[in-house]
Amino acid sequence: MTQSDPIFRLEGVTRRYGNLTALEGIDFVAEDNSYIALLGPSGSGKTSLLRVIAGFETPDEGRIWFQGRDITDVPAHERGIGFVFQNFALFPHLTVFENIAFGLRNGATKVSDAEITDRVRESIDMVGLSGLEDRNPDQISGGQKQRVALARTLVMQPKLVLLDEPLGALDANLRERMQMELRAIRERLDVTFLHVTGSETEALAMGDRVAVLDAGRIVQYGTPDAIYDSPSISDVALFLNRFNLFEGTLKNGIFEGAFGAVPVASARTNETDVYAIRYDRTQIFDTDSSYLPGPALPVRYLASEYLGSSIIFLFETADHKTVEVDHHLSLGEPRDLIVGKNYILSWDPAQAIVFGKEITR
Amino acid sequence: MSAASTNRETKNTFRLLAPGVVWMILFLVAPIMMIVYVSFWTQTTFSINSTLTLDSWRNFFASEAYVGALWTTIRLWLIVLTLTFVIGYPAALYVGLLVKSKTVSTVLLVLCVIPFWTSFLIRVLAWRPMLGKEGAINIILQKFGLIDTPIEVLLFSELSVIIGMTQIYVVFMVGPIAFMLGRIDRNIIEAARDLGAGFGRIFWKIIFPLSLPGVVVGAIFVSVMVLGEFATSGALSGRKVNLLGNIIVTQVGSLKWAMASVVGVILTILLGIVVAGFLRIVDLKREI
Repeated sequence: MTQSDPIFRLEGVTRRYGNLTALEGIDFVAEDNSYIALLGPSGSGKTSLLRVIAGFETPDEGRIWFQGRDITDVPAHERGIGFVFQNFALFPHLTVFENIAFGLRNGATKVSDAEITDRVRESIDMVGLSGLEDRNPDQISGGQKQRVALARTLVMQPKLVLLDEPLGALDANLRERMQMELRAIRERLDVTFLHVTGSETEALAMGDRVAVLDAGRIVQYGTPDAIYDSPSISDVALFLNRFNLFEGTLKNGIFEGAFGAVPVASARTNETDVYAIRYDRTQIFDTDSSYLPGPALPVRYLASEYLGSSIIFLFETADHKTVEVDHHLSLGEPRDLIVGKNYILSWDPAQAIVFGKEITR
Repeated sequence: MSAASTNRETKNTFRLLAPGVVWMILFLVAPIMMIVYVSFWTQTTFSINSTLTLDSWRNFFASEAYVGALWTTIRLWLIVLTLTFVIGYPAALYVGLLVKSKTVSTVLLVLCVIPFWTSFLIRVLAWRPMLGKEGAINIILQKFGLIDTPIEVLLFSELSVIIGMTQIYVVFMVGPIAFMLGRIDRNIIEAARDLGAGFGRIFWKIIFPLSLPGVVVGAIFVSVMVLGEFATSGALSGRKVNLLGNIIVTQVGSLKWAMASVVGVILTILLGIVVAGFLRIVDLKREI
């Protein structure tokens, strides 16, 4: 099977709860055998979208296609789509083994006991739970529960697995390990993972492709670097949490903001005029510096945050907006800054991304 | 931990336990011992003395009426227990699981309890105008031409006692089951669906096992109350149905303390066996 065959397709999927529209005419095509991260802030409708695909909820409008078949009216238990719940949702009265065997024992197709034992053992080995078969869910740790939930879904050999913030309930160390394991497990199994997350780092790190959901619409879908390098609208840049965003006005190819008027080579269509520059492309200068690579933004230094491989410097503009500068320590020692003192931030205007109502070429 | 602090903790434990222990000894253990003791006393027509004898016990098991009452009690208990379960479980399933809003499910549970705002006796006696020869049910059935002569077996029979008891005690089955069902995480039901299980499978493999502690608690409530019953059978059977409870009432009425004690001891043993049996089904400690 080639990478480009769609595993599932959404056509104008809309879901409303009373007056609230959770999903608004979503069109989406997902490639087979890939890891897709679905990024969205809370309330963007990402869990609703997952529940609609799984069949726990029916869309008010639109169709859902899975492996070339219209499954909009197929009940959840006949869809053959795996779902991993954020709270794991293990069966509390069954052992780890029986939790994983549940689908094989109780599904529509009869599976022999010998095959059940083989397949469950295989999944247990795959997720590294050997020796815990006879424990109850309340006798294992959070990370182990996560593995049981995953094994329980994967043992059914689904072609599509939906993961609802699967790492949300784990602590930071475990989260990083599970990120790598999830990717490794998926690659071995020829299956598509649709991983919902509110964390931009998780989405960029894990997805072969990332879909960004905002207010019930998919606003951008592409590879992590495409999204990182060229967010389609200013809201995407905002979720990525890597850009300083400045409001202003774009007129006749000139953007006017807190840093003065800057000529703009190109701008992307957006509902408001926004000027974006990445944290790590923003540079710090003294107020009397004779050389600046581009626009000059007067700021006051607030604090710094040490992250190991880099330092985040926090500044405040005259209108009390916080601006961040990310200095990679591989680029040399950071300069000493004095808290409360004024500095100038500047950047290469070619590296800025401008969004505007007016499109400039 | 030092010896002194261990000592203090033990002391505190005893202090905290003391009121409960004293209460239980005075009002539970001592009376039960007393009943057992009195059941071996010698009963003459007008008096009782503490000479120990097995006469009352022999009389109980020699009398067809008394042993018959024991079997009637067990039979009615099993019938009422089954009916409260069969009627109560679906109701609890609806209230505890199928109703999505917590508010609605609380309102429904309160509605189940509202009949208890009237006195027990009124609730029992209200069945008379319902079930009687010229009662509501017979009148309605006759009006619709479904029957020509009134059904007499409705009142003052075992049937009326069963109907009365089931109506009164079914709520004690609904409550605990609905509570357990309400605690089931909806996600695990969805997880079971996602793994390909249909509703029947989900019910038998997930929902029912998880509600079992509620069933056991409900069954214990119903059993304890039905086995000790005397008022419903007194009011609705026309003295045709004699339960162990009715025998105790008549024996005490005629000052036959020894025989009343024998029946009391038998009832207590029966209850003990029933409750212990139910507790073997689930480990309630794990649920609390």
